[in-house]
Parts: sequence; structure tokens; C-alpha cells
Amino acid sequence: MLEAKGLMVFYENMLALNNVSIKCAENQIVGVFGANSAGKSTLMYTLSGIIEDIRKKEEMAGGERISVLGKIQYLGQDITDVKPSRRAKRGIVLCPERRRIFKECSVIENLRIGGYLASPSQANETLEYVFRVFPALEKLKKRVGGFLSGGEQQMLAIGRALMAQPKLLLLDEPLLGLSPLVQALLVRATREIRDEKGISIIVTEQYARPVLPIVDYAFILENGAAVLEGTHDELMNNPDVRSAYFGI
Amino acid sequence: MDIEQRRRERLDRGIKIRSDGLYALMSWRELSYLTLPRLVLIVGILIAPLVMPSMYWQRVISIVCIYALLSLSFDLLAHFVGLVSLGGAFFIGVGGYTTAILNTQLGLPPLLSIPLATVIGAIICTLFLLPCLPLRGVYFAIITLMYPLLLIRVIEALDILGGTDGIVGIASFDNRWVEQYFIILMVLLFLFGIRRLVNLDIGLVFRAVKDNDQAVRASGMSITYYKTIAVFIASAMGCLGGAYLAHLYMWAGLSSFALDFSILPIAATVIGGAGTLVGPVLGAFILVPISELLRAFGTLRITFYALILLGFIVFRSEGIMVYGQRKYHQFEKWVKV
Repeated sequence: MLEAKGLMVFYENMLALNNVSIKCAENQIVGVFGANSAGKSTLMYTLSGIIEDIRKKEEMAGGERISVLGKIQYLGQDITDVKPSRRAKRGIVLCPERRRIFKECSVIENLRIGGYLASPSQANETLEYVFRVFPALEKLKKRVGGFLSGGEQQMLAIGRALMAQPKLLLLDEPLLGLSPLVQALLVRATREIRDEKGISIIVTEQYARPVLPIVDYAFILENGAAVLEGTHDELMNNPDVRSAYFGI
Repeated sequence: MDIEQRRRERLDRGIKIRSDGLYALMSWRELSYLTLPRLVLIVGILIAPLVMPSMYWQRVISIVCIYALLSLSFDLLAHFVGLVSLGGAFFIGVGGYTTAILNTQLGLPPLLSIPLATVIGAIICTLFLLPCLPLRGVYFAIITLMYPLLLIRVIEALDILGGTDGIVGIASFDNRWVEQYFIILMVLLFLFGIRRLVNLDIGLVFRAVKDNDQAVRASGMSITYYKTIAVFIASAMGCLGGAYLAHLYMWAGLSSFALDFSILPIAATVIGGAGTLVGPVLGAFILVPISELLRAFGTLRITFYALILLGFIVFRSEGIMVYGQRKYHQFEKWVKV
């Protein structure tokens, strides 16, 4: 479904992604694991195209020069030069790190904004679906986004991304700063979304243990390079990986 | 990868790295690398009045310097403290009227009334702006924009401070060259003073207030206190310009509160490069003369003026100084990835 080849991203002279190739097949959950500064977020920005936006803003402000190299194939087409908004229209939707919900809009407004690309019937249908997956949100419909708890905000962010009718959902650190209970809830929801909607999901995380059970295939990033990859079982049986990323 | 990929690499020049340290003092080349840009600026501004063809253009230089002071104050507040100020007109007006009163009522000579008006005016401005300082957001911009409009109406309606005629009969400078070089020296003094200030400890706190005022509060510092200091310094610069302007025109009137004084500094800052402090001064030195030159076009002047501004914003949105500094300190080359 999505295939990125030889992705390299430079922030000025700093190499953030070093020749990373990543693949995600139809109806698959792909995990990307790595420590801080491994390049997970940069990878997500690059796949969703947000990096183009960052690059342009830096250039306008006379800041760092960002160079992006490599090829991204999506549904058989080359989307390397496609703008982020067009990528979202084609179904690559990013749920950004630290949620970035619209803090001054209510929950329902947040979701409606996310549904901008959907037709009214699709939007209503997805809205119901979001409330079914995250029942907690339904009770908070009218609450202003900034006053939700961390876990609720994350549910809202995922819900908002779903409203854009993704075919490929990019979740950037969805479990950041959440309690184990909420983490488990979100992980369950992620699998449900894949199973019921048939959406492919790429999820990044620092600590792989909570996500690993639902991941079909995983990549491990270290200092910007993909050092290891494999299916769930292959990685689980690798002793280095077990100690470094799963804490077993 | 089968195709060869290249990217442009940007590196600091060797001389920049060498002259960062104390070793710079050991070689003429590195010394001049450090001092030449500053010297060019200082000498350039100092000889500007001498090379001007007429009295008219020398007067333009004085006006430019006033705008330079305002731009500097805008840059300091907006990009180092995080207060977007539209208060140029307010500062100029308060400074102008203060010096007018000091000069006509108390009979102080210009060289005494201007510094006094600077300090008194800055205190008045700071007191006026104090209510909105604990807040962040647009409040400061709105308040600074409203005061001049308010004061115009108050002066008009109550017919105080000379009413619509303004205060006339303010003494001018005795000597044309004193008049000219007083303001030029002030611009240089404040420019290098502020550049120094923002790198002192207090300057660091200013920048911290801009970045995250909650964190500054959590560190046990009062953001209102630091904002007050910054506003005092910035309004002192504006009041100095206003006081000088009153003595230049020998008149202080309602047009001291003209909106030009608030808007042009912003344009100068955008053109010169925000947050560089030198940039806004340079921007004022570009914009004001251009505006004078365009007088030849009569009513089309504003149109051309707007086009020039637009061109700068579209093609050089980073600002002249940011661009210039990068070219001066760094070089680029293509490298294979």
C-alpha cells in the first residue's frame, strides 16, 4: 500500500533520517520503534508530507534548510512531491504527536473539523463510529478540547483523524504520557479500527511493549537509520530487541 | 540508489569560527572580519548627512533616525519580549508634548529638555501601559493603538495643550550640525546599547518571557516587572524621537499622534529582518527615503510604496539582515549524499 524507499531528511547538516525504507501493506498495523531523536516523528512528517510545510516555513523565516530525499509510493503512485493536503485527500492522515487538538473548540467541533474532507453522510457515520470506539467521548461532546484529560485528548485526536476518512492512518506516539489502563484501551481501539474499517495503520512508539501485541510488522529506528525489521514474532525472539525495547 | 542525489550544504566560514574566540585579536584579518560590518554601519550613518545634496535631504536623515529609533523599540518589544507594540505614535506624541511643556513653560534649552522629556515621557507611557502588562495576547497592541487616538480627541475636546493648534514657539537647536548629529549619535548609542542589553542576563529573561511566560513565573520571576522594564526602555526611545521631532519642527501638535509612527516601524522591521535589531534600523534607512523619493509620483506614491513592501515580503520574507548575516557567516556547496 505504502512504500517509502531511501528516505533521507537533513535538518541543515544534521541527518535525521538515514536511508530509511519502510513498507506497509493493506490492512496491516506497522510499528516503528525507537528512542528519542531516532527520527520517528520526522518519518511521520515525511510520510504525511508535513515536512514540506515545515521546510517552506523555515525557508521563509531564513532558518534551517531542510532537504528531503527519497521516494514514496502510495497505492502504486509516486506521491513524493504531493502536497500534504492532497495526501490527506488521498487517504494518508496523520494524527500528530502531542495530540494537537483544537483547544478552544468543543469535542464535537473538533470532530466536525476533522470531517471536512468527508461527505455529510460519511461524516455522520464516522461520528457514530468514533463514539462507539471511544464511548468516553460521547459524554464529553460539548466539553472544550483544552479541558479534556490527556487520554481523552488522545482519543479525540484519533477520532479527528478518523473523520478524514483515512486509508492509511499515521499515529505518532499515541500513548505518550498516558496511564497503562488508558494505553491498553487505546491499543485495543487501534486494533478494532483496523479490523472493522480495514484501515492500515503505522504507529510509532518509544516503548514497544504495549503496542507490540497488535503489530503485524515492525521497524526499529536508531539514530535515524532503520537497524532492524521483522514480523512480530521475529522481533520478539531477538534478545537485543527484547531487552532494549520491550523491557523484558 | 541508482540516481545520484545531491543537496546543498551550509557551513560556517572558517574565519567566523576562528574569530569567535579570543584568538581573533591576534590577526588583522579576523579583527576586520569582526569589526568591518559594524564600522561600515557607523561610518555610513555618520557621513550620511555630509554627502546629502541639500538641506531637505539632511532633514530627511533626521526623520529617518526618528523612525529608526521607533523601529528599534518595536523590534525590542516584539521579538525579544513578545509584546506587539503599535505604540510609536503614542511614544512620539507623549515625548513631543512633554518637551514642549518643559521648553515653553520652564524655558529649558533643547539639550536639557530632550533628555528630561525622554525620561518623564517614558515614565508616563509605562504608567499608561501598566494595566495590560500582566496579560499576553493582543491587549498590548490594542491599548497602544488606542491611546494616541484617545489623546487626540481629549486634547481637541478639552482644548488643553494648545488644542488643535498645538504648542508653538518651541526652541530649535542653536546649531544645524548639533541638531543633525545629536539624533544620529542617539540612534547608534541605542542600537549598540540594546544589542548589548539583550545578551545580558536581563535580556535572557526578556526572551524567556517571550517564549514561555508561565515557565518564567514558575522560576520565581515577575513577568510584569520585566515587561515594565522593557516597555520603559522602548518608550524612552520613542519619546526621545518625539521630543527631538518637536524641537526639529519647533512645534508639537496633534500630528505627533499620526498613525505613520506606529505602522512604518513594523514595515521597517519586516524588511530589515525581525529580531536582528540592526535590521529595523536599516529598514528605516531604506523605507523613509524611498517614501520621499516616491513623492514625485504624487498620488500614486502609496501604490508604489505598497508594491515595494509586497515585493520584499514575497521574495525576502526573512529580511535583509537575516539574509545578509547568513551570507556573511556561511557558505554553501553542493555535496553528494
